Amino acid sequence: MLEILAQTGFNALYAASYISLVAVGLVLIFGVMGVVNFAHGELFMAGAYAVVALYADLHMPFLVAVGIGLAFVGLLGLLMERALFRPLRDNPLGGLVASIGFLMILQSLAVMGFGVRMEHIPPVTQDVIAFSEKVRLPVARLYVIIAAVVLLSALWFFLKRTRFGWALRASAQDPEAAALQGISINQTARIAMFIGAGLAGVAGALTAPLVSVNPFMGHSVIITAFIVIIVGGVGSLEGAIIASVAYAFIHTVVTTFWDGVLADIVGLMLMLIVLIVRPTGLMGSADRA
Amino acid sequence: MPKVVPWFALLAALIFLPHVLSFSQQEILVYLAINVLIVTSYRLLTLTGEWSLAHVVIMGVGAYASALLTKMFSVPVPVSILLGGVIAALVALVLSVPLFRMKGFYFLIGSFAAGEIIRLLWKRFREPFGGPKGIKGIDPMPDFSIGIYDFDFFEPISYFYFAAIVVAVCLLILWRIEKSPVGLTFHAVHWQDKLAQAAGVNVRAYRTLAFTIASGFAGLGGALLAHYVGTINPNSFDVEVMVFVLTWAIVGGTATFYGPILGCVTLTILNEVVLREMGFEQARPLIYGLILILSILFMPKGLESLVQKLKPGRKSAVPVERAAE
Amino acid sequence: MTKFLEIDALTMRFGGLTAVDGLSFTVDHGTIHGLIGPNGAGKTTTFNAISGFYKPSSGAVRLRGEVISGLKMHEVARRGVVRTFQHSTLFAELTVLENALVGTHMPFRPNIFAAIVGYDRHDRTGAEARAREALEFFNLAHLADNRAGDLSHGHQRALGMAVAYAAHPDVILLDEPFTGMNPEETRVMMGLMRKLRDDGTTILIVEHDMQAIMGLCDRITCMSFGKWLAEGNPDHIRHHPSVIEAYLGGARHVA
Repeated sequence: MLEILAQTGFNALYAASYISLVAVGLVLIFGVMGVVNFAHGELFMAGAYAVVALYADLHMPFLVAVGIGLAFVGLLGLLMERALFRPLRDNPLGGLVASIGFLMILQSLAVMGFGVRMEHIPPVTQDVIAFSEKVRLPVARLYVIIAAVVLLSALWFFLKRTRFGWALRASAQDPEAAALQGISINQTARIAMFIGAGLAGVAGALTAPLVSVNPFMGHSVIITAFIVIIVGGVGSLEGAIIASVAYAFIHTVVTTFWDGVLADIVGLMLMLIVLIVRPTGLMGSADRA
Repeated sequence: MPKVVPWFALLAALIFLPHVLSFSQQEILVYLAINVLIVTSYRLLTLTGEWSLAHVVIMGVGAYASALLTKMFSVPVPVSILLGGVIAALVALVLSVPLFRMKGFYFLIGSFAAGEIIRLLWKRFREPFGGPKGIKGIDPMPDFSIGIYDFDFFEPISYFYFAAIVVAVCLLILWRIEKSPVGLTFHAVHWQDKLAQAAGVNVRAYRTLAFTIASGFAGLGGALLAHYVGTINPNSFDVEVMVFVLTWAIVGGTATFYGPILGCVTLTILNEVVLREMGFEQARPLIYGLILILSILFMPKGLESLVQKLKPGRKSAVPVERAAE
Repeated sequence: MTKFLEIDALTMRFGGLTAVDGLSFTVDHGTIHGLIGPNGAGKTTTFNAISGFYKPSSGAVRLRGEVISGLKMHEVARRGVVRTFQHSTLFAELTVLENALVGTHMPFRPNIFAAIVGYDRHDRTGAEARAREALEFFNLAHLADNRAGDLSHGHQRALGMAVAYAAHPDVILLDEPFTGMNPEETRVMMGLMRKLRDDGTTILIVEHDMQAIMGLCDRITCMSFGKWLAEGNPDHIRHHPSVIEAYLGGARHVA
């Protein structure tokens, strides 16, 4: 029993790592731009396909593929900012609907470019750290955990210690006051969008060899991210990370002891309950919707 | 009465149109009739200002309910279709209790979550929902004759006539609701819920009412679909379909009754006639995504705004019929 | 004898801030009652607590002895207390007549089934007659088919009151009704309010500008810093030392 719990803990930690990367990006975009990016799951998918193309097909080194994936998806984010969210700045619902349109386009492009089949990606490493017979942590998963910790720490440093980060936080709290301070809304939006999208892309790229990559994988990713940011409190980065960990544990436990679909239902119920009890989330205060 | 002339022309066109179309085009006509009902009922829901992402799943509730009623309790098909609508409305009524504690973006996400839960329940429970494979071999409508016409539901033409009549009746009811004081109250709740409350309007009750009615008609549409295609599964009612409905509504424009219908018909013609002929069928989601984005960027009031530009004279956003009576 | 509209030890707290502190006063039936005070005195908060917009932290509002505080706004309205809003809060996208028709929601409650089968003709004609009567009363009848959002500011204020009037209220709560009106519009509006009162409607006005309602109100309650300060007829209030002090003090703060 203890071993199962330990193993579940490792699995959950891995899941929490990439979920929090996705969710933190979503929160950042929502905080700074006030728009819900429904295409965030497809940005994750785009990152995964970058690895399919560069690492699996073109045999580039994995880390190079991940780096290019991050940059590529970040650029997609910039494209969304310029083409969709900037013209629709006064229309949050419009921005949301436009992002749904973008989701369809990305999904469709993936289908046309790669087909609907599952992609097989050669594993980065087969190594496993075995703590005991039943408690094993694949090194590939450990890499994802390490990458998430490094990236989130870097983001934390960026937000709290740099001028750009200060500008970003200021315009997330009060865009008008920030504009009066001479902070360019366009610039903070670009930075938020690049980082937010890039985090989703890097999460997709890192996990690509470990999951079944297909054009529709974004769906469950965005649902998970919504659950996490609602439970964690919309607009709260720390809340998103804490909620990611909590969600990953609950989901992994239910999956281990019952089944995956039930785990999805439990997660969604959790989010509905939070929405009913506290429509702004457990830690949220800012209400920009 | 020159006012009825266009209506007779439309009626004649609807009767004769299927005869000049191919079999597969006739099938599309059936879907089109059902989709018109879905998108029009969706508009009723948006009248109170809340946009739901659960509408297509609610449509599925009607489809599953009607299919299961015929399968498990041998309910005759026309009755089960009606009951499908009723059950969808009841499910919506239950959902509205938690959902209408939320507003705006939270309502949107909440409705999305509620819809996904329902879909996952279909997937999870093989009994009675059939799991991921869904329900197969759903009873078709029994054939019948009305003297001048024999309904043979093996033919899409017959089902089109049947569906078109049902949809027309539903549209008439939806139209009467919107043009009634109830419809005016929906608009009031949308534009200024605080002022509506001050006038004694129970805002939450009216939001619930709009949601429930819209869901009932969506469920009816779903049931119509189920007994035509004969097989349904959780993916028949997934987010992609919801995006199509959203696109129809937004491209057409939701300020008028006919806007969403216009959007649905235009995009269906574009999709089936143009895309299919050109062999772009696979790119349907891509084209829909593009159209959705372009119309929200450049035509935020939808196709109906084009129609209104062509019409002489300005009208209020909500024409008051009774002023003319 | 039960009091008509009684505000009893009303207290509103927001976090650590007490906006209204144990306020009590009574509005008599068939009077125009003014609630005044310098900026930040808690008038609007009081107003919102009476109309059901806020739930009081403690204390009560009673109408003919029945507690109405803590009820939702539409429930307060259904008991006969209808409010207007400070700014031009209207259904801007609807026509003037449609705005007034929404106001008739309570006397002519819509019924969806009757609407579908067309069995509500009486109610519809009744509602329209009432709506047009309300527009007539506020001199808006000629604008009935205009979009409410296109009206001039003064007309918008008048329409706001017409929507409230259409509901046949026992009490109308007016939130700074004269803001943005020119002197002529103000004069006409004051005449209409007296007429309303003479028809038996009780009016409670919240107003920042003391002079504007001196000539209108039968009785005035003055509050300052959330507390009851003075009450009486306009003459009494005009010469009340604490009131003068409060307003001057407020003015000094502003300067």
